[in-house]
Amino acid sequence: MYTWLSLKSSADLVQLEAHLSPEYGAKRVVEKLAGGISGAVKAVLIEHNYVDKDYRSTYYHFYSKKGQHYRADCVRLHFFDQTVTYDSTALKLACHEGPDRLGDHYFGYMVLRPTGIATIGRTVLSPDIRSGACQYIITTEHKVHLLGYKLKVHGFPSMDQHVDISVCAHVACWSILRHYSERYSTYREFLTHDITLMAQPFDPGGLVPSRGLEVSHAERVFQVAGTYPVHITRDKKKASDPSFYRQLIAYVESGFPLFAAMQERRHAVAVVGFERRQPVNTRLPGMRSAWEEVQKLALVDDNNLPYLPVEVKGGTPYSAEDIDAFIVALPEKVFYPADAVDRLAEARFKLGGAINLPPEDESIIRYFITTGSALRHFVRDHESEFDPKLVATIMKLPFAQFIWIVEFATEPQWAVGQVAVRAVIDATSSLLEVMPLWLIHSQTQALVFNRLTVGLDLQSGIRGLQLADSGRVGFTRMDQNLRSTQTK
Amino acid sequence: MDKEKDESDVFQAIEGLTPVDPNALADFERAMNEEVIPEIVKAVEERRMLAAESRHWQLKC
Repeated sequence: MYTWLSLKSSADLVQLEAHLSPEYGAKRVVEKLAGGISGAVKAVLIEHNYVDKDYRSTYYHFYSKKGQHYRADCVRLHFFDQTVTYDSTALKLACHEGPDRLGDHYFGYMVLRPTGIATIGRTVLSPDIRSGACQYIITTEHKVHLLGYKLKVHGFPSMDQHVDISVCAHVACWSILRHYSERYSTYREFLTHDITLMAQPFDPGGLVPSRGLEVSHAERVFQVAGTYPVHITRDKKKASDPSFYRQLIAYVESGFPLFAAMQERRHAVAVVGFERRQPVNTRLPGMRSAWEEVQKLALVDDNNLPYLPVEVKGGTPYSAEDIDAFIVALPEKVFYPADAVDRLAEARFKLGGAINLPPEDESIIRYFITTGSALRHFVRDHESEFDPKLVATIMKLPFAQFIWIVEFATEPQWAVGQVAVRAVIDATSSLLEVMPLWLIHSQTQALVFNRLTVGLDLQSGIRGLQLADSGRVGFTRMDQNLRSTQTK
Repeated sequence: MDKEKDESDVFQAIEGLTPVDPNALADFERAMNEEVIPEIVKAVEERRMLAAESRHWQLKC
Protein backbone atom coordinates (compact mmCIF):
# COMPACT_ATOMS: atom_id res chain seq x y z
CA MET A 1 0.00 0.00 0.00
CA TYR A 2 2.86 2.43 0.78
CA THR A 3 6.39 2.59 -0.60
CA TRP A 4 9.09 5.00 0.60
CA LEU A 5 11.79 6.16 -1.79
CA SER A 6 14.79 8.11 -0.52
CA LEU A 7 16.41 10.38 -3.08
CA LYS A 8 20.00 11.54 -3.18
CA SER A 9 19.23 13.56 -6.29
CA SER A 10 16.42 13.97 -8.78
CA ALA A 11 18.06 11.24 -10.89
CA ASP A 12 16.92 8.75 -8.24
CA LEU A 13 13.31 9.46 -9.21
CA VAL A 14 13.83 6.77 -11.82
CA GLN A 15 13.16 4.27 -9.00
CA LEU A 16 9.49 5.15 -9.40
CA GLU A 17 9.37 3.12 -12.61
CA ALA A 18 10.11 -0.07 -10.68
CA HIS A 19 7.19 0.49 -8.31
CA LEU A 20 4.46 1.54 -10.73
CA SER A 21 2.68 -0.57 -13.34
CA PRO A 22 2.84 0.63 -16.96
CA GLU A 23 -0.67 2.13 -16.95
CA TYR A 24 0.60 4.98 -14.72
CA GLY A 25 3.05 6.12 -17.37
CA ALA A 26 5.90 6.32 -14.87
CA LYS A 27 8.63 7.02 -17.44
CA ARG A 28 7.03 10.27 -18.59
CA VAL A 29 6.18 11.25 -15.01
CA VAL A 30 9.80 10.70 -13.94
CA GLU A 31 11.05 12.83 -16.84
CA LYS A 32 8.73 15.68 -15.90
CA LEU A 33 9.56 15.54 -12.21
CA ALA A 34 13.31 15.23 -12.74
CA GLY A 35 13.27 18.25 -15.03
CA GLY A 36 10.96 20.38 -12.92
CA ILE A 37 11.46 19.95 -9.18
CA SER A 38 14.38 21.01 -7.05
CA GLY A 39 16.90 18.91 -5.16
CA ALA A 40 15.16 19.85 -1.90
CA VAL A 41 12.84 16.89 -2.46
CA LYS A 42 14.65 14.03 -0.73
CA ALA A 43 11.90 11.45 -0.38
CA VAL A 44 8.76 10.28 -2.16
CA LEU A 45 6.05 8.26 -0.45
CA ILE A 46 4.02 6.24 -2.96
CA GLU A 47 0.43 5.76 -1.80
CA HIS A 48 -1.07 2.88 -3.81
CA ASN A 49 -4.81 2.24 -4.30
CA TYR A 50 -5.67 5.88 -3.77
CA VAL A 51 -9.29 6.84 -4.49
CA ASP A 52 -9.16 10.14 -6.35
CA LYS A 53 -12.47 11.98 -6.68
CA ASP A 54 -11.54 13.72 -9.92
CA TYR A 55 -10.40 10.54 -11.66
CA ARG A 56 -13.43 8.66 -10.33
CA SER A 57 -15.72 11.29 -11.86
CA THR A 58 -14.25 10.49 -15.28
CA TYR A 59 -14.05 6.74 -14.54
CA TYR A 60 -17.78 6.45 -13.77
CA HIS A 61 -18.83 8.49 -16.81
CA PHE A 62 -16.28 7.40 -19.38
CA TYR A 63 -13.49 4.91 -18.66
CA SER A 64 -15.78 2.23 -17.12
CA LYS A 65 -17.84 2.26 -20.32
CA LYS A 66 -14.87 1.31 -22.53
CA GLY A 67 -14.01 -2.19 -23.71
CA GLN A 68 -10.49 -1.90 -22.33
CA HIS A 69 -10.45 -2.52 -18.58
CA TYR A 70 -9.32 0.52 -16.59
CA ARG A 71 -8.53 0.43 -12.88
CA ALA A 72 -10.77 2.45 -10.60
CA ASP A 73 -7.94 3.50 -8.29
CA CYS A 74 -4.97 5.83 -8.63
CA VAL A 75 -1.52 6.19 -7.13
CA ARG A 76 -0.59 9.31 -5.15
CA LEU A 77 2.99 10.52 -4.77
CA HIS A 78 3.88 12.65 -1.72
CA PHE A 79 7.05 14.75 -1.61
CA PHE A 80 9.14 15.42 1.53
CA ASP A 81 12.44 17.02 2.49
CA GLN A 82 15.47 15.27 4.03
CA THR A 83 14.30 15.55 7.63
CA VAL A 84 11.33 13.18 7.27
CA THR A 85 11.69 9.43 7.80
CA TYR A 86 9.27 6.56 7.31
CA ASP A 87 8.84 3.44 9.43
CA SER A 88 7.38 0.86 7.04
CA THR A 89 6.50 -1.56 9.88
CA ALA A 90 4.62 0.93 12.05
CA LEU A 91 3.44 2.89 8.98
CA LYS A 92 4.62 6.11 10.64
CA LEU A 93 6.18 9.30 9.40
CA ALA A 94 8.55 11.22 11.67
CA CYS A 95 10.58 14.42 11.77
CA HIS A 96 12.80 16.03 14.42
CA GLU A 97 10.16 18.47 15.67
CA GLY A 98 7.43 15.87 16.10
CA PRO A 99 4.41 14.79 14.04
CA ASP A 100 2.66 18.15 14.41
CA ARG A 101 5.39 19.77 12.34
CA LEU A 102 5.43 17.22 9.48
CA GLY A 103 3.62 19.79 7.34
CA ASP A 104 6.69 22.07 7.49
CA HIS A 105 8.61 19.40 5.58
CA TYR A 106 5.91 18.43 3.10
CA PHE A 107 5.95 19.75 -0.46
CA GLY A 108 2.64 18.42 -1.79
CA TYR A 109 1.30 15.56 -3.84
CA MET A 110 0.69 14.30 -7.37
CA VAL A 111 -2.02 11.79 -8.30
CA LEU A 112 -1.23 9.37 -11.13
CA ARG A 113 -4.22 8.08 -13.15
CA PRO A 114 -4.23 4.53 -14.60
CA THR A 115 -4.99 5.81 -18.08
CA GLY A 116 -1.77 4.95 -19.92
CA ILE A 117 -1.49 8.39 -21.50
CA ALA A 118 -1.52 11.81 -19.83
CA THR A 119 -1.44 10.15 -16.42
CA ILE A 120 -0.71 13.12 -14.15
CA GLY A 121 -3.93 13.82 -12.28
CA ARG A 122 -4.81 16.24 -9.49
CA THR A 123 -1.57 17.77 -8.27
CA VAL A 124 -0.82 20.40 -5.65
CA LEU A 125 2.90 21.17 -5.37
CA SER A 126 4.55 23.88 -3.34
CA PRO A 127 6.06 26.54 -5.64
CA ASP A 128 9.09 26.40 -3.31
CA ILE A 129 10.33 23.20 -4.97
CA ARG A 130 9.48 24.13 -8.56
CA SER A 131 12.64 24.89 -10.52
CA GLY A 132 12.58 28.49 -11.71
CA ALA A 133 9.25 29.30 -10.03
CA CYS A 134 8.28 32.96 -10.11
CA GLN A 135 8.56 35.30 -7.13
CA TYR A 136 4.81 35.67 -6.51
CA ILE A 137 2.26 32.86 -6.88
CA ILE A 138 -1.47 32.72 -6.12
CA THR A 139 -1.85 29.86 -3.66
CA THR A 140 -4.13 28.62 -0.96
CA GLU A 141 -3.88 25.98 1.73
CA HIS A 142 -4.79 22.44 0.67
CA LYS A 143 -5.37 19.84 3.36
CA VAL A 144 -3.98 16.36 2.82
CA HIS A 145 -4.88 13.24 4.80
CA LEU A 146 -2.11 10.64 4.80
CA LEU A 147 -1.52 7.72 7.19
CA GLY A 148 -3.68 9.41 9.82
CA TYR A 149 -1.73 12.67 9.63
CA LYS A 150 -3.28 15.95 8.52
CA LEU A 151 -0.76 17.69 6.29
CA LYS A 152 -1.04 21.05 4.57
CA VAL A 153 0.49 22.43 1.42
CA HIS A 154 0.21 25.90 -0.12
CA GLY A 155 -0.09 25.63 -3.87
CA PHE A 156 -2.28 25.92 -6.95
CA PRO A 157 -4.04 22.84 -8.40
CA SER A 158 -2.95 21.40 -11.73
CA MET A 159 -3.28 18.24 -13.85
CA ASP A 160 -2.65 16.90 -17.36
CA GLN A 161 -5.57 17.07 -19.74
CA HIS A 162 -7.15 13.63 -20.26
CA VAL A 163 -6.84 14.09 -24.06
CA ASP A 164 -9.80 11.82 -24.80
CA ILE A 165 -12.45 13.53 -22.67
CA SER A 166 -11.01 16.88 -21.74
CA VAL A 167 -8.62 19.41 -23.26
CA CYS A 168 -6.39 22.23 -22.05
CA ALA A 169 -9.29 24.63 -21.57
CA HIS A 170 -11.16 22.20 -19.32
CA VAL A 171 -8.04 21.81 -17.19
CA ALA A 172 -7.52 25.58 -16.91
CA CYS A 173 -11.16 25.99 -15.78
CA TRP A 174 -10.84 23.08 -13.34
CA SER A 175 -7.62 24.46 -11.82
CA ILE A 176 -9.11 27.91 -11.24
CA LEU A 177 -12.39 26.58 -9.82
CA ARG A 178 -10.61 24.09 -7.53
CA HIS A 179 -8.50 26.98 -6.21
CA TYR A 180 -11.71 28.95 -5.61
CA SER A 181 -13.47 26.10 -3.77
CA GLU A 182 -10.44 25.59 -1.51
CA ARG A 183 -9.82 29.30 -0.96
CA TYR A 184 -13.37 30.70 -0.61
CA SER A 185 -16.21 28.99 1.21
CA THR A 186 -18.69 30.68 -1.17
CA TYR A 187 -17.79 28.35 -4.05
CA ARG A 188 -18.56 24.64 -4.25
CA GLU A 189 -16.21 21.99 -5.58
CA PHE A 190 -16.49 20.83 -9.21
CA LEU A 191 -14.93 17.58 -10.40
CA THR A 192 -13.28 17.04 -13.77
CA HIS A 193 -16.39 15.50 -15.32
CA ASP A 194 -18.57 18.33 -13.94
CA ILE A 195 -16.45 20.83 -15.86
CA THR A 196 -16.96 18.99 -19.16
CA LEU A 197 -20.73 19.13 -18.59
CA MET A 198 -20.82 22.77 -17.46
CA ALA A 199 -19.27 23.94 -20.72
CA GLN A 200 -22.37 23.03 -22.70
CA PRO A 201 -26.08 23.78 -22.25
CA PHE A 202 -26.70 20.01 -22.64
CA ASP A 203 -24.77 16.80 -21.86
CA PRO A 204 -22.46 16.46 -24.87
CA GLY A 205 -21.70 12.86 -23.98
CA GLY A 206 -19.02 10.56 -25.39
CA LEU A 207 -15.93 12.19 -26.82
CA VAL A 208 -17.48 15.53 -27.72
CA PRO A 209 -15.54 17.45 -25.02
CA SER A 210 -12.24 16.25 -26.51
CA ARG A 211 -13.02 18.13 -29.72
CA GLY A 212 -12.19 21.27 -27.82
CA LEU A 213 -13.85 24.27 -26.28
CA GLU A 214 -14.60 27.71 -27.54
CA VAL A 215 -13.69 30.64 -25.31
CA SER A 216 -17.43 31.21 -24.77
CA HIS A 217 -17.69 27.71 -23.28
CA ALA A 218 -15.06 28.55 -20.68
CA GLU A 219 -16.97 31.73 -19.87
CA ARG A 220 -20.07 29.58 -19.41
CA VAL A 221 -18.21 27.23 -17.03
CA PHE A 222 -17.34 30.17 -14.76
CA GLN A 223 -20.90 31.51 -14.91
CA VAL A 224 -22.40 28.14 -14.00
CA ALA A 225 -19.91 27.91 -11.13
CA GLY A 226 -21.43 31.04 -9.61
CA THR A 227 -18.76 33.58 -10.51
CA TYR A 228 -19.14 36.72 -12.65
CA PRO A 229 -16.62 36.29 -15.47
CA VAL A 230 -15.16 39.32 -17.21
CA HIS A 231 -13.75 38.60 -20.66
CA ILE A 232 -10.98 40.87 -21.97
CA THR A 233 -9.54 40.50 -25.48
CA ARG A 234 -6.40 42.11 -26.85
CA ASP A 235 -6.93 44.50 -29.75
CA LYS A 236 -4.76 42.84 -32.37
CA LYS A 237 -5.55 45.52 -34.94
CA LYS A 238 -3.41 47.92 -32.93
CA ALA A 239 0.38 47.71 -33.05
CA SER A 240 0.27 47.31 -29.28
CA ASP A 241 -2.42 47.23 -26.61
CA PRO A 242 -0.63 48.07 -23.34
CA SER A 243 -3.93 48.52 -21.50
CA PHE A 244 -4.68 44.80 -22.06
CA TYR A 245 -1.51 43.76 -20.24
CA ARG A 246 -1.93 46.38 -17.51
CA GLN A 247 -5.36 44.92 -16.79
CA LEU A 248 -4.01 41.36 -16.94
CA ILE A 249 -1.41 42.01 -14.27
CA ALA A 250 -3.88 44.06 -12.20
CA TYR A 251 -6.21 41.08 -11.85
CA VAL A 252 -3.32 38.69 -11.11
CA GLU A 253 -1.99 41.09 -8.45
CA SER A 254 -5.51 41.11 -7.02
CA GLY A 255 -5.18 37.37 -6.40
CA PHE A 256 -7.50 36.28 -9.24
CA PRO A 257 -6.06 33.49 -11.42
CA LEU A 258 -6.82 34.11 -15.11
CA PHE A 259 -8.09 31.77 -17.80
CA ALA A 260 -5.83 32.83 -20.69
CA ALA A 261 -6.36 31.98 -24.37
CA MET A 262 -3.82 31.98 -27.20
CA GLN A 263 -5.66 32.14 -30.51
CA GLU A 264 -3.04 30.86 -32.95
CA ARG A 265 -1.88 28.06 -30.67
CA ARG A 266 -5.49 27.20 -29.82
CA HIS A 267 -4.21 26.79 -26.31
CA ALA A 268 -5.51 27.77 -22.86
CA VAL A 269 -3.62 28.11 -19.58
CA ALA A 270 -4.18 29.59 -16.14
CA VAL A 271 -2.07 32.61 -15.16
CA VAL A 272 -1.26 32.19 -11.47
CA GLY A 273 1.68 34.46 -10.67
CA PHE A 274 4.47 36.68 -11.85
CA GLU A 275 8.04 37.79 -11.30
CA ARG A 276 9.15 41.41 -11.31
CA ARG A 277 12.35 42.42 -13.01
CA GLN A 278 15.14 43.69 -10.80
CA PRO A 279 14.48 47.38 -10.09
CA VAL A 280 16.49 49.56 -12.42
CA ASN A 281 17.28 53.20 -11.97
CA THR A 282 16.66 54.41 -15.51
CA ARG A 283 16.15 58.07 -14.59
CA LEU A 284 14.34 58.21 -17.92
CA PRO A 285 11.25 60.42 -18.06
CA GLY A 286 7.94 58.76 -18.81
CA MET A 287 5.12 57.25 -16.80
CA ARG A 288 5.37 53.47 -16.36
CA SER A 289 2.95 50.81 -15.23
CA ALA A 290 3.34 47.76 -13.02
CA TRP A 291 3.20 45.59 -16.18
CA GLU A 292 6.42 47.16 -17.45
CA GLU A 293 8.13 45.96 -14.26
CA VAL A 294 7.08 42.34 -14.88
CA GLN A 295 9.68 39.93 -16.26
CA LYS A 296 7.79 36.62 -16.24
CA LEU A 297 4.34 35.17 -15.69
CA ALA A 298 3.74 31.88 -13.86
CA LEU A 299 1.34 29.59 -15.68
CA VAL A 300 -0.49 26.37 -15.04
CA ASP A 301 -0.16 24.73 -18.47
CA ASP A 302 -1.41 21.15 -18.71
CA ASN A 303 1.63 20.15 -20.78
CA ASN A 304 4.01 21.02 -17.94
CA LEU A 305 4.44 20.89 -14.20
CA PRO A 306 2.67 23.81 -12.50
CA TYR A 307 4.11 27.33 -12.19
CA LEU A 308 5.71 27.27 -15.64
CA PRO A 309 7.74 30.50 -15.83
CA VAL A 310 7.15 32.29 -19.12
CA GLU A 311 9.06 35.38 -20.24
CA VAL A 312 7.06 38.48 -21.14
CA LYS A 313 8.75 38.62 -24.56
CA GLY A 314 10.64 36.16 -26.72
CA GLY A 315 10.25 33.09 -24.53
CA THR A 316 9.91 29.45 -25.56
CA PRO A 317 7.63 27.64 -26.20
CA TYR A 318 5.70 30.89 -26.02
CA SER A 319 5.76 34.19 -24.17
CA ALA A 320 3.27 36.17 -22.13
CA GLU A 321 2.65 38.44 -25.10
CA ASP A 322 1.14 35.45 -26.96
CA ILE A 323 -1.88 35.70 -24.66
CA ASP A 324 -4.72 37.14 -26.76
CA ALA A 325 -7.62 37.06 -24.30
CA PHE A 326 -8.33 36.26 -20.70
CA ILE A 327 -11.29 35.59 -18.48
CA VAL A 328 -11.25 36.63 -14.84
CA ALA A 329 -13.89 35.00 -12.63
CA LEU A 330 -14.88 37.86 -10.33
CA PRO A 331 -17.18 37.98 -7.33
CA GLU A 332 -20.50 39.70 -7.86
CA LYS A 333 -19.85 43.17 -6.53
CA VAL A 334 -17.11 44.41 -8.81
CA PHE A 335 -18.93 46.76 -11.19
CA TYR A 336 -16.16 49.23 -12.05
CA PRO A 337 -13.98 47.52 -14.69
CA ALA A 338 -10.22 47.59 -14.97
CA ASP A 339 -10.61 49.50 -18.26
CA ALA A 340 -12.08 52.36 -16.24
CA VAL A 341 -9.45 52.21 -13.49
CA ASP A 342 -6.75 52.14 -16.16
CA ARG A 343 -7.86 55.48 -17.58
CA LEU A 344 -8.83 56.97 -14.26
CA ALA A 345 -5.37 56.27 -12.82
CA GLU A 346 -3.73 58.62 -15.28
CA ALA A 347 -6.40 61.28 -14.76
CA ARG A 348 -5.37 61.44 -11.09
CA PHE A 349 -2.49 63.67 -12.10
CA LYS A 350 -5.07 66.43 -12.65
CA LEU A 351 -5.36 66.40 -8.85
CA GLY A 352 -1.66 67.19 -8.55
CA GLY A 353 -2.13 70.55 -6.80
CA ALA A 354 -4.51 69.09 -4.24
CA ILE A 355 -2.65 65.94 -3.23
CA ASN A 356 1.14 66.07 -3.82
CA LEU A 357 1.33 63.38 -6.49
CA PRO A 358 4.79 62.59 -7.83
CA PRO A 359 5.48 64.15 -11.24
CA GLU A 360 3.54 62.32 -13.97
CA ASP A 361 6.54 61.39 -16.05
CA GLU A 362 8.44 60.00 -13.05
CA SER A 363 5.65 57.76 -11.77
CA ILE A 364 5.09 54.02 -11.77
CA ILE A 365 1.38 53.19 -11.46
CA ARG A 366 0.01 49.94 -10.08
CA TYR A 367 -3.63 49.02 -9.46
CA PHE A 368 -5.49 46.00 -8.13
CA ILE A 369 -8.70 44.91 -6.38
CA THR A 370 -8.91 44.14 -2.70
CA THR A 371 -11.49 44.39 0.05
CA GLY A 372 -12.09 47.22 2.48
CA SER A 373 -11.27 44.79 5.30
CA ALA A 374 -7.96 43.86 3.70
CA LEU A 375 -7.03 47.55 3.41
CA ARG A 376 -7.85 48.13 7.08
CA HIS A 377 -5.86 45.03 8.02
CA PHE A 378 -2.89 46.26 6.00
CA VAL A 379 -3.06 49.73 7.57
CA ARG A 380 -3.28 48.21 11.06
CA ASP A 381 -0.19 46.07 10.32
CA HIS A 382 1.72 49.16 9.11
CA GLU A 383 0.20 51.63 11.57
CA SER A 384 3.51 53.32 12.38
CA GLU A 385 3.81 54.54 8.78
CA PHE A 386 0.64 56.60 8.93
CA ASP A 387 -0.58 59.74 10.66
CA PRO A 388 -3.12 58.54 13.29
CA LYS A 389 -5.72 60.83 11.66
CA LEU A 390 -5.36 58.85 8.41
CA VAL A 391 -5.60 55.53 10.25
CA ALA A 392 -8.81 56.72 11.92
CA THR A 393 -10.20 57.88 8.57
CA ILE A 394 -9.55 54.49 6.93
CA MET A 395 -11.13 52.69 9.88
CA LYS A 396 -14.25 54.89 9.73
CA LEU A 397 -14.90 55.19 6.00
CA PRO A 398 -17.82 52.89 5.10
CA PHE A 399 -16.14 51.14 2.14
CA ALA A 400 -18.12 48.81 -0.11
CA GLN A 401 -16.84 45.23 0.11
CA PHE A 402 -14.53 45.54 -2.90
CA ILE A 403 -12.25 48.45 -3.69
CA TRP A 404 -9.68 49.20 -6.34
CA ILE A 405 -6.36 50.46 -5.00
CA VAL A 406 -4.17 52.63 -7.22
CA GLU A 407 -0.61 53.21 -6.05
CA PHE A 408 1.79 55.82 -7.41
CA ALA A 409 5.53 55.46 -6.82
CA THR A 410 8.67 57.15 -8.03
CA GLU A 411 11.44 54.95 -9.42
CA PRO A 412 13.53 55.08 -6.20
CA GLN A 413 10.43 54.29 -4.12
CA TRP A 414 9.49 51.36 -6.36
CA ALA A 415 12.99 49.92 -5.98
CA VAL A 416 12.49 49.61 -2.20
CA GLY A 417 8.86 48.49 -2.27
CA GLN A 418 7.39 51.88 -1.33
CA VAL A 419 4.74 54.16 -2.80
CA ALA A 420 4.09 57.91 -2.59
CA VAL A 421 0.32 58.07 -3.00
CA ARG A 422 -2.53 55.60 -2.63
CA ALA A 423 -6.04 56.08 -4.05
CA VAL A 424 -9.03 54.00 -2.97
CA ILE A 425 -11.69 53.65 -5.67
CA ASP A 426 -15.17 52.24 -5.06
CA ALA A 427 -15.39 49.00 -7.11
CA THR A 428 -19.17 49.37 -7.15
CA SER A 429 -19.01 52.75 -8.92
CA SER A 430 -20.83 53.59 -12.13
CA LEU A 431 -18.77 54.22 -15.26
CA LEU A 432 -20.17 57.76 -15.45
CA GLU A 433 -19.16 58.92 -11.99
CA VAL A 434 -16.88 61.94 -11.85
CA MET A 435 -15.51 61.10 -8.39
CA PRO A 436 -15.67 57.30 -7.91
CA LEU A 437 -13.27 57.58 -4.95
CA TRP A 438 -13.37 56.96 -1.23
CA LEU A 439 -9.98 58.39 -0.49
CA ILE A 440 -6.68 59.51 -1.95
CA HIS A 441 -3.69 60.31 0.23
CA SER A 442 -0.03 61.18 0.13
CA GLN A 443 2.25 61.58 3.16
CA THR A 444 1.09 65.11 3.82
CA GLN A 445 -2.45 65.38 2.49
CA ALA A 446 -5.61 63.37 2.01
CA LEU A 447 -8.86 63.97 0.18
CA VAL A 448 -11.86 62.18 1.67
CA PHE A 449 -15.06 61.61 -0.35
CA ASN A 450 -18.54 61.21 1.08
CA ARG A 451 -20.06 58.33 -0.90
CA LEU A 452 -23.06 57.97 1.37
CA THR A 453 -24.76 60.71 -0.62
CA VAL A 454 -25.64 60.00 -4.25
CA GLY A 455 -24.75 62.89 -6.53
CA LEU A 456 -21.59 64.08 -4.81
CA ASP A 457 -20.77 67.73 -5.41
CA LEU A 458 -17.42 69.40 -5.02
CA GLN A 459 -18.65 71.89 -2.43
CA SER A 460 -20.09 69.52 0.13
CA GLY A 461 -18.88 66.03 -0.75
CA ILE A 462 -15.11 66.34 -0.46
CA ARG A 463 -12.93 67.28 2.50
CA GLY A 464 -9.22 67.69 2.97
CA LEU A 465 -7.09 66.28 5.76
CA GLN A 466 -3.67 67.71 6.62
CA LEU A 467 -1.26 64.91 7.64
CA ALA A 468 1.96 65.06 9.62
CA ASP A 469 4.86 64.14 7.35
CA SER A 470 6.69 61.19 8.91
CA GLY A 471 9.75 61.92 6.79
CA ARG A 472 9.77 58.36 5.44
CA VAL A 473 10.65 57.46 1.84
CA GLY A 474 7.02 56.46 1.32
CA PHE A 475 4.43 53.94 2.39
CA THR A 476 4.91 50.19 2.06
CA ARG A 477 3.51 48.83 -1.23
CA MET A 478 0.47 46.59 -0.70
CA ASP A 479 1.97 43.29 -1.96
CA GLN A 480 -0.38 40.99 -0.13
CA ASN A 481 -2.57 38.84 -2.36
CA LEU A 482 0.09 36.44 -3.62
CA ARG A 483 2.47 34.18 -1.76
CA SER A 484 6.15 34.97 -1.94
CA THR A 485 8.06 31.91 -3.13
CA GLN A 486 10.71 30.61 -0.71
CA THR A 487 12.98 28.71 -3.08
CA LYS A 488 14.28 25.44 -1.64
CA MET B 1 -30.00 67.75 12.40
CA ASP B 2 -32.33 64.87 11.56
CA LYS B 3 -31.28 61.24 11.92
CA GLU B 4 -31.14 60.54 8.19
CA LYS B 5 -28.85 63.48 7.57
CA ASP B 6 -26.68 62.48 10.50
CA GLU B 7 -26.16 58.91 9.23
CA SER B 8 -25.35 60.01 5.70
CA ASP B 9 -22.72 62.53 6.75
CA VAL B 10 -19.59 60.47 7.12
CA PHE B 11 -17.56 63.65 7.58
CA GLN B 12 -19.01 64.20 11.03
CA ALA B 13 -17.36 61.00 12.24
CA ILE B 14 -13.87 61.99 11.09
CA GLU B 15 -11.90 64.62 12.97
CA GLY B 16 -9.69 67.22 11.36
CA LEU B 17 -11.41 67.50 7.99
CA THR B 18 -11.40 70.86 6.27
CA PRO B 19 -13.32 72.15 3.24
CA VAL B 20 -11.48 71.89 -0.08
CA ASP B 21 -11.28 74.79 -2.47
CA PRO B 22 -13.43 73.62 -5.42
CA ASN B 23 -11.04 75.41 -7.78
CA ALA B 24 -8.32 72.93 -6.78
CA LEU B 25 -10.48 70.11 -8.15
CA ALA B 26 -11.90 71.95 -11.13
CA ASP B 27 -9.23 70.73 -13.54
CA PHE B 28 -9.84 67.12 -12.49
CA GLU B 29 -13.61 67.50 -12.82
CA ARG B 30 -13.27 69.03 -16.27
CA ALA B 31 -10.90 66.27 -17.40
CA MET B 32 -13.26 63.59 -16.08
CA ASN B 33 -16.33 65.06 -17.81
CA GLU B 34 -14.71 66.01 -21.10
CA GLU B 35 -12.02 63.37 -21.58
CA VAL B 36 -11.83 60.48 -19.11
CA ILE B 37 -15.46 59.37 -18.83
CA PRO B 38 -16.05 59.46 -22.62
CA GLU B 39 -12.79 57.51 -23.05
CA ILE B 40 -13.87 54.96 -20.43
CA VAL B 41 -17.25 54.45 -22.09
CA LYS B 42 -15.58 54.04 -25.48
CA ALA B 43 -12.93 51.65 -24.13
CA VAL B 44 -15.50 49.45 -22.39
CA GLU B 45 -17.60 49.28 -25.57
CA GLU B 46 -14.54 48.42 -27.68
CA ARG B 47 -13.56 45.64 -25.26
CA ARG B 48 -17.10 44.29 -25.43
CA MET B 49 -16.89 44.10 -29.23
CA LEU B 50 -13.46 42.42 -29.11
CA ALA B 51 -14.73 39.90 -26.57
CA ALA B 52 -17.69 39.08 -28.81
CA GLU B 53 -15.28 38.25 -31.65
CA SER B 54 -13.02 36.09 -29.51
CA ARG B 55 -15.81 33.99 -27.98
CA HIS B 56 -15.68 31.61 -30.95
CA TRP B 57 -11.98 30.89 -30.84
CA GLN B 58 -11.34 27.14 -30.66
CA LEU B 59 -9.12 25.85 -27.85
CA LYS B 60 -7.93 22.26 -27.91
CA CYS B 61 -4.14 21.94 -27.55
